[in-house]
Amino acid sequence: MSQRTMVVDLDRCIGCKSCEVACKQENGVVLGCTWNKVLTVGPTGTYPDIEMYYLPTMCQECKDSPCVKVCPTGASYKSEDGVVLVDKEKCIGCRYCMMACPYGVRTFNEETKVVEKCTLCAQLQAVGEEPACVKICPAKCRFVGDIDDPSSEVAKLIKNAGTDSVHVLPNVGNNPSARYILHSKTAKWKE
Amino acid sequence: MSIQWPLVFFTLFVGLGCGIFVVSVALTEWCGKEKQIRSISSILAVVALGVGGMSSTMHLGHPERMFGALGHPTSGIFMESTMMFLLGLVIIVYLLALRRKASDQTCKVIATVGALLAVVLAFVNGDAYVMASIPAWNTILLPVLYVASAAVMGCFGISVLIARIENTNTTIVSTVTAAETAATMETAMTTTTAKIKRATLIALAIQAVLIIAYLMHIAGAPYPDATRSVTRVLTGNLALFFWGGLVLIGLIIPAALMKKTESFSSVTSVKLGLACVLVGGVAFRVLMFLLGSSIKQFF
Repeated sequence: MSQRTMVVDLDRCIGCKSCEVACKQENGVVLGCTWNKVLTVGPTGTYPDIEMYYLPTMCQECKDSPCVKVCPTGASYKSEDGVVLVDKEKCIGCRYCMMACPYGVRTFNEETKVVEKCTLCAQLQAVGEEPACVKICPAKCRFVGDIDDPSSEVAKLIKNAGTDSVHVLPNVGNNPSARYILHSKTAKWKE
Repeated sequence: MSIQWPLVFFTLFVGLGCGIFVVSVALTEWCGKEKQIRSISSILAVVALGVGGMSSTMHLGHPERMFGALGHPTSGIFMESTMMFLLGLVIIVYLLALRRKASDQTCKVIATVGALLAVVLAFVNGDAYVMASIPAWNTILLPVLYVASAAVMGCFGISVLIARIENTNTTIVSTVTAAETAATMETAMTTTTAKIKRATLIALAIQAVLIIAYLMHIAGAPYPDATRSVTRVLTGNLALFFWGGLVLIGLIIPAALMKKTESFSSVTSVKLGLACVLVGGVAFRVLMFLLGSSIKQFF
């Protein structure tokens, strides 16, 4: 089964937050809502051994998505290619999915009274384009593809990075599919 | 997580309704005491469930789409809604049975089914929050605490009803009937009072033990974070809710009020006790939401 997801090379991320801006513009994300956010992890250590990295956060496209399981109306669902989406016409705005998300990456739109999240720019991918955050990234650190397909770009990136340098957010049975590449020469991954 | 007030009052009133009905059934149908409160306690239970249901809809962005939940019977919200509907239906059937003077056995069977549904509903209310994404909620202790909270509120709710009846009867007896009748009635009331008093104190003690166990769960929960630490509860910015709202107003004062009560002749005392456990119930739910941070809260 295919699993479309995002892989971020943290060795290359410069923390410019272009992806945040591009996401807002492309998807019309209203003020107060966020689909994609770049966090700064660190600095940690003692001078001169100080390290820091940037962590772009968004929906982790979990294989066993708790948000989909708890949704009372089926508004949250997984598409055929494994992307978690929200049918805004079905959403009752109970925010139960926001509670069930282990990473707090869903957002409630106070204007439309429904829950929103990163869609991996499904509207762009449908016409053969990459998501806005991927297109805009000046460091070319974001990649989208089918992680279950060994011939895909994202699968090759992960294979080439080596298992020690491929990281995943805490897994509480949700099995996030997004991956972060961070080599120890850049910084140590913080759980 | 911010405090979800509609959900606080949803679970509070549903817990109150479940508690009142279960305690009423236990007292009237199982112990055969104070059968005159059956109708009024059932009506109060239905009203409380209704108020709770109304509160829950205020939490929804689009309540008009709620019927979409019918197609997904495994979600927590569907379970809660279904249990509420079933309990409300059984209570109405029970009220009809009482009104049509059905046999004691029939009433007892219907009431027992309702009581079981009420316990399950109180449990489901808490169980809906048990999720791996929120370490402070990911424990079976949470739904059990909801059941204990419902039991405590139910005991005080029924105490208020009994106190009102006791007061009314005392007035009637003193003006109309003989001293012998008054003595018999007083003995019956004292037995009832003793039963409710014992049940209430046991429920409060169980709740206290569960709260300690819940704190231990938080202390040992995975992915520790300052937002859901025991320190925050005991000495941090949640200490007022915990010590003041939950422990003092929710446990100690109601226990003291109930312990010193020899009879329910003082309506004020049990009313105050009910108000206290309601405040304690709110404090507990508020604490729960304020401790409800995700493993990673990125946004």
